Amino acid sequence: MIEIAALSSFLLSAVGLAVPIALAALGEMVSERAGVINIGLEGSVIWGALGGALGALAAGPWAGLGTGALCGGATALLFALFAVRLDTDQIITGTAITLGSLGFTGVVFQGRFGATGLALELPTVPVWEIPLLAGLPVLGPALFEQAATAWVALLLAPALGWFLFRTRWGLALRAAGESTVAARAAGERVVRIRILAAVFGGCLAGLAGAHLSLVHTGTFAEGMSAGKGFIAIAVVVLGRWRPWGVLAAALFFGCAEALQFALQAVDADLPYPLFLALPYVLSLAALAGWFGRSRAPAALGGASGG
Amino acid sequence: MPGANDGHPRDSGDRPGGTAPTGQPRDSRNAPLAARLHGVSRSFGRVVALNDVDFELRPGEIHGLLGENGAGKTTLARVMAGLLAPDRGRVEIGGRALEGGGARTARELGVAMVHQHFSLVPRFTGFENVLLFNGGGWTRRGRLRRGFRERVEARAAELGLAVELDLPVEELGMVERQRVEILKALAGPTRVLILDEPTTVLAPQEVSGLFAVLARVARAGTGVVLVAHKLDEVLAAADRMTVLRGGARVLTRPRGDATEAGLVAAMVGRGGVGDGGRVTRKRPDGAPADRAEAGDAVADGGGGDQANPPVAELRRVTAGDPEGERIVDLSLEVRRGEIVGIAGVGGNGQRTLAAVLAGVRKPVRGEVRIPREVGWIPQDRVEEGLVGDFTVAENVAFALHGSADFRNGPWLDWKRVGRTAAEMVAGMEVRGGGAGDRAGRLSGGNQQKVVAGRELLRSRILLVAESPARGLDVRATAQLRGRIARLARDGPGPPGIVLVSTDLDEILELADRILVMVRGRLLPLPPHGRHPDAIGHLMLAATTSSPTPPPTPTP
Repeated sequence: MIEIAALSSFLLSAVGLAVPIALAALGEMVSERAGVINIGLEGSVIWGALGGALGALAAGPWAGLGTGALCGGATALLFALFAVRLDTDQIITGTAITLGSLGFTGVVFQGRFGATGLALELPTVPVWEIPLLAGLPVLGPALFEQAATAWVALLLAPALGWFLFRTRWGLALRAAGESTVAARAAGERVVRIRILAAVFGGCLAGLAGAHLSLVHTGTFAEGMSAGKGFIAIAVVVLGRWRPWGVLAAALFFGCAEALQFALQAVDADLPYPLFLALPYVLSLAALAGWFGRSRAPAALGGASGG
Repeated sequence: MPGANDGHPRDSGDRPGGTAPTGQPRDSRNAPLAARLHGVSRSFGRVVALNDVDFELRPGEIHGLLGENGAGKTTLARVMAGLLAPDRGRVEIGGRALEGGGARTARELGVAMVHQHFSLVPRFTGFENVLLFNGGGWTRRGRLRRGFRERVEARAAELGLAVELDLPVEELGMVERQRVEILKALAGPTRVLILDEPTTVLAPQEVSGLFAVLARVARAGTGVVLVAHKLDEVLAAADRMTVLRGGARVLTRPRGDATEAGLVAAMVGRGGVGDGGRVTRKRPDGAPADRAEAGDAVADGGGGDQANPPVAELRRVTAGDPEGERIVDLSLEVRRGEIVGIAGVGGNGQRTLAAVLAGVRKPVRGEVRIPREVGWIPQDRVEEGLVGDFTVAENVAFALHGSADFRNGPWLDWKRVGRTAAEMVAGMEVRGGGAGDRAGRLSGGNQQKVVAGRELLRSRILLVAESPARGLDVRATAQLRGRIARLARDGPGPPGIVLVSTDLDEILELADRILVMVRGRLLPLPPHGRHPDAIGHLMLAATTSSPTPPPTPTP
């Protein structure tokens, strides 16, 4: 009985931990499909967390989710203006955005709440407990006791799949990520597509950040994004740039993280940080093609030629 | 598929190829022009690519566009397709001005271009590529329009473009890619179809197939612009032809009034092409052309020539590139002073063979013996042969820095490099820039001259030339071929030369012995097989899936 309860709470925690990763990764997937690798994603996540916190204090947790997404989107817009509009190097620009964001959010936070380590208490987004279903054993809580952000992530996967592979705009977006020459010859506006895709990815990363502050913890701390943006980029690789793959990979990262926490709690004689490293090892393996052919969009990271 | 019924009549206006008036005689002079360029000029930096050019394209005609490399053909085509904005002048498509909007507007007005380097998305399927270029395939809500697939297939059948629509384009051969490219251009309503050097990737038999397609396209009312450098092809296919020289229009003639000599004179503008003359087309049916007298030292390849050991040797080599182009269990010997011609339809392994010989691809199996330094004129010269941001001199330097001639202690002797580069620029008649100019600024043909000129310089032992004249004009082609032929008889120790080409005339003119590349293997010619038809049959036996053996040629 205890084992079932433990398993159930493990799964609940795994799904909860997977949600922000999934949100940010699905956004990054769209961005990369358009040819933009946004290393500044981490910046969008941390701005989303702070923007969410400020928004929630001003107008409640739901508004906080909105402001979080907007802040993440704005960060990505700044990135895209440089990396796409001005064709600066995507990796360097993204790194600058991430490092700058981690610093500036700290400045803003301290300016607003003081430099003391005083824990901030935020209004949180309620968890939706689906009646009956949430009572199911083992999987019930994990699947049916989650906040709205989890549902957003879950519904986004099929929606993005449909968008990318079934619609005209999805085709144009993928073309921008595969061959800017061909896309331009087809009359597509590559720069515009890439900026929009990057901003969309930034909004989702911002939502992921808001999830951290408004669902997961109910507070804000400097650097609380804790690499979620980078993890998301690895998840996109592991998920092979496909929506369901990305969702599954995010869940896998969530499980690894939850397992690490669980092992820490029971104080087992295991080097638990290894479980945190495992997903990255698998991402490398995926890049090396150990799980079959998986290739990044051909024009990923390349110039947009504005 | 609910989106297909959102209020549109399904066949509204985007029946493939539907807008242009059909049933008109091909030379109806009163019909509105398909395209009209008026006083168009365009410069790149200091180089004037187009100077006050007028050009008219009638619906239903095939209009050949001729000129030397750098004459402005491709620039003109790109201006017409909205891919380049003219500095001055006006472009009208079907009587409507093409302003500002660029490629998208041109596309909406019915202009489609088949590029020299195809503008397909390699990982998209043929159908996805068609869709990308055809707004008519979608409903207003962005979903696939019902029946579009069937219409594309019908269009393909109507034009005789057999093509596999559900495979990623990167898995198709060159011929099929070109078909996708053409189908993509013609799936929607098309007033103007522009083809930039479309025959360079085709075998002779396939060229006539392409022209048959173009004739059908024109008959349906589309104006076709055929950019080409092979005169006989243009003369065979075009109703009218325009010659550009130095960015200006020199003449426009209907086919009936045009002669090869007149066109060449117009293209070259110096009252002739000098010593090389236009490419004399030898159709030898036995002896290897005029090099026979110099060929006494040349082994026939099969026998073991003790005095002349091979400079390159492949023994049962298997290799491939990530795109799936490969050679299988292939053996080849190349000796000094011989030109080995490798014929074949593009994509049968030539690229891999050349890369192995050049030492840039490691074999999976087999034994490779090649010299340390190999001259290599690669197929994709811009990608593999040149650094666009380097000057011409720097491009020469990075390939030749190993040579003792250019070294001064540990340093590079830049004066010497500069002199060599300048000589090369003069010798190859590179136009549009000198040794100190960025290579990327030169036109495609001139970039190629730079690569060829440099590689000839470093071919002391072995030269691997992939379609060396591809994209060059008549004059430059003759010149380059002359140089390659001379190189093989050059001094006491001439290099061995491997000439990989899809151009049979080139192979027949230059090669001492000919091998045909078929699905990664080299086939020898049958006895008395040194004839375009025989070689062509051998080549095509590979591409068609039918297992029929190559017909035995009649000498």
